[in-house]
Amino acid sequence: MSYSCALQKPILLQGHERSITQIKYNREGDLIFSVAKDTVANVWYSVNGERLGTYNGHTGALWCVDCDWDTKNVLTGSADNSCRLWDCETGKQLAMLNTSSAVRTCGFDFSGNIIMFSTDKQMGYQCFLNYFDLRDPQQIEDNQPYLTVPCAESKITSAVWGPLGEFVIAGHENGEINQFSAKSGEVLKKVKEHNKQINDIQTSVDLTMVITASKDCSSKLFDSTTLDHIKSFKTERPVNSAAISPIMDHVVMGGGQEAMEVTTTSTRIGKFEARFFHAAYEEEFGRVKGHFGPINCVAFHPDGKSYSSGGEDGYTRIHHFDPQYFDFELEA
Amino acid sequence: MDSLTTEELLGDLLREKPQEADGIDSVVVVDNVPQVGPERLEKLKNVIHKIFSKFGKITNEFYPTVDGPEGLTKGYIFLEYGAPTQALEAVKNADGYKLDKQHTFRVNVFTDFDKYMSISDEWETPEKQPFKDFGNMRHWMEDPDCRDQYSVIYESGERTAIFNNDAKDPIVSEERARWTETYVRWSPKGTYLATFHQRGIALWGGEKFKQIQRFSHQGVSLIDFSPCERYVVTFSPLMDTKEDPQAIIIWDILTGQKKRGFHCESSAHWPIFKWSHDGKFFARMTQDTLSIYETPSMGLLDKKSLKISGIKDFSWSPGDNIIAFWVPEDKDIPARVTLMQLPSRQEIRVRNLFNVVDCKLHWQRQGDYLCVKVDRTPKGTQGVVTNFEIFRMREKQVPVDVSIIAFAWEPNGSKFAVLHGESPRINASFYHVKNNGKIELIKMFDKQQANSIFWSPQGQFMVLAGLRSMNGALAFVDTSDCTMMNMVEHYMASDVEWDPTGRYLVTSVSWWSHKVDNAYWLWTFQGRLLQKNNKDRFCQLLWRPRPATLLTQDSIKVIKKDLKKYSKIFEQKDRLSQSKASRELVDKRRSMMEDYRTYREAALQQHHEQKIARLQLRGGVDTDELDSNTDDWEEETIEFFINEEIIPLGE
Repeated sequence: MSYSCALQKPILLQGHERSITQIKYNREGDLIFSVAKDTVANVWYSVNGERLGTYNGHTGALWCVDCDWDTKNVLTGSADNSCRLWDCETGKQLAMLNTSSAVRTCGFDFSGNIIMFSTDKQMGYQCFLNYFDLRDPQQIEDNQPYLTVPCAESKITSAVWGPLGEFVIAGHENGEINQFSAKSGEVLKKVKEHNKQINDIQTSVDLTMVITASKDCSSKLFDSTTLDHIKSFKTERPVNSAAISPIMDHVVMGGGQEAMEVTTTSTRIGKFEARFFHAAYEEEFGRVKGHFGPINCVAFHPDGKSYSSGGEDGYTRIHHFDPQYFDFELEA
Repeated sequence: MDSLTTEELLGDLLREKPQEADGIDSVVVVDNVPQVGPERLEKLKNVIHKIFSKFGKITNEFYPTVDGPEGLTKGYIFLEYGAPTQALEAVKNADGYKLDKQHTFRVNVFTDFDKYMSISDEWETPEKQPFKDFGNMRHWMEDPDCRDQYSVIYESGERTAIFNNDAKDPIVSEERARWTETYVRWSPKGTYLATFHQRGIALWGGEKFKQIQRFSHQGVSLIDFSPCERYVVTFSPLMDTKEDPQAIIIWDILTGQKKRGFHCESSAHWPIFKWSHDGKFFARMTQDTLSIYETPSMGLLDKKSLKISGIKDFSWSPGDNIIAFWVPEDKDIPARVTLMQLPSRQEIRVRNLFNVVDCKLHWQRQGDYLCVKVDRTPKGTQGVVTNFEIFRMREKQVPVDVSIIAFAWEPNGSKFAVLHGESPRINASFYHVKNNGKIELIKMFDKQQANSIFWSPQGQFMVLAGLRSMNGALAFVDTSDCTMMNMVEHYMASDVEWDPTGRYLVTSVSWWSHKVDNAYWLWTFQGRLLQKNNKDRFCQLLWRPRPATLLTQDSIKVIKKDLKKYSKIFEQKDRLSQSKASRELVDKRRSMMEDYRTYREAALQQHHEQKIARLQLRGGVDTDELDSNTDDWEEETIEFFINEEIIPLGE
């Protein structure tokens, strides 16, 4: 490893009292949404870290957040057994969809018209993948998804939409990845390249690829349509989140274990690092320190000139790359 | 014995007794009995009776005599017991009994004679076993780049691999799943790798690590090799029975034969049998006894053990066939350390010690020095004080006073290192034993984070390590001038292993002691980090030992003189291999990039073809690029507070 990412001073977002569970940029990158275990959903200006507002209403830990392509609506999923739709600008709650168990993943499709969310296997209830069409207000009113897919075997732990809204790519607790059709609910494709839980799946900005982050200490790159396994990135710690750079052949990964899972951890400050790998060579080339606990979520700004990480410590850090980052090349 | 017929042998007995097979099983033949005439026969019979009736009631006896005027007994007799077990007892105990200078009884059960008599006269040549060629057993020593090998157990024991140590990256030589069920051991000269299994151990070797030999010992848990690699000793807590001692078995490695079995009460101080440096003797200590055996017969030296009342510990000199042992105080007799020469059993040195609480014996690698660490409670005090009694095997001994945590001799030299004091004030002191016998303190480093001493096997260099609870602090020292070369850390390191040449050091975090960050790190002898090797649930790394050098002292001197010449050649070789590795890496990267680009092109092609679909889904808005729909953009000017500067206006 020969490059230590020397960055400009990061912008620190302090607005959560408990660990961050997910962060997301909107399509244009001017906003960052952050959700945490403290029941709070925040939205910030990414340029200077100023908080724009909060979406109030959830009564339990928030697990997921998404924003539609037009930055009109926001979707959140919570352990309070609800998935809620919000007006991005005003913060008004537009819909509340009650479920029988915690909502673990959620997202808008490419068009912004269809939403999906999955529920946990809990309290006797199976894991379900639900689809609602927002153009049909009756579905929302009656809390009746037009399609609900049960997942009997291994519960869904992370999910994203495919390129044209035809299917959802879901990662499961056992390491499997399945494509669930948004029309019929059938499994179109499945692969098992990981052998432990998939903690995160994210798409490339053009939606052609997805990257997975797994408890098996590796991250893998797949083609979204064929689910062909393209690349693997190995570390010695469980990976909680991974993202693909929009402009460079880079991926970023964040991870670590929760304090209670490890009997003794290094008490050295800022031990948890975000790691940068070259996407084609599969080699690690840089690390960024700074978080005081495991990193739970990473995301690139859509313009690829900065990235953010949300941690167990409740902080979200926005890092802008310095010119060295873009010039850096591994000898080839 | 001349040929005898059954009639001749047993005529009387056969006539007297009906055909009962049991009778014969209770009969013993005693040979080397004095030949006496009739007038002394009665006396002879009484003597025989006295000796042999110890084993059971003698129901019948027969003293065959020579035909002729003197009527001397033939020199062998037959005795019958009440039961076959008594006959066996007689054989066990009376065989080898020395009646007098000329007569040592040989006792056998009669049935054995029958067995040997009925061996076919025709000799059948035993079938020729095909020669098992394991190849060059020293193959690893011929590596052109002189890479040493080491074994690694990881995935919590599921996988074992053998690597060649290259400064750049370890090179896999062999890798197998479930090669061993618990752990592995190398033989002392590196020839064999031993693996453990429920049913026994297996030895592997040669270029391809083929299975050389298998030893069946159910439930084996511990093993030990003789220094010459001729024998292997296995221990299993399961296999001991009264009749058949099987707890410890000594095997001949080349033939695979079981040489001898022994009882064992407890395996607490393994190895129970300690070998002399040349493998000629092995010994063990039991209550008040030191038993020394010789090879290859596996019999007790001089047919008896040594009675040493109170013996607490012993150890062999690594250089000579000398045993050091110590005995604690006994009433008026002070504690003593004794050095005994084998096989003569001559006591060549005895030293009395007073008020002793405990002793530990530390031999220097070459056997030049023995250090006895003596814990004493001097009269009139309550605390424990530690002395060193240094025996210079070639001269006199001199005591040294200090209280310590760890002690270690320099392997090839005459220095030793000592860790003493109490945390956090732990000191490391280096001493030199001079030619005149005086011990000189060279240097002391204070406030060290260390609990273990690791000398390079070649001497001069060493590492002071603070393992486990001391968080892996490492101090690399050059003892030629006692300078600290480097102070580094391998967080939570549990083990330190020098390679056999003293060029490299491995520190590791074993899964057996710490469940995260399991890895082994490679350092140079000066403390420069070369590699960090993470291995899933890494358990253990062991360097493969090297056999002794084949060079004479003179050839070594010559090589050292010409070192500059060799250095040049090696440096050039290193540079070439560096650039070769770079080239290999570069080539690998090129091909990976090509594959990636090919994939990306195809994916982007498909992406392009889906453009219309995308436009439709977003109501005609082109969002493919961030700036694809600039018409929609609004320009907004926002002011941010950046900085405050106070500029004093000039007067």
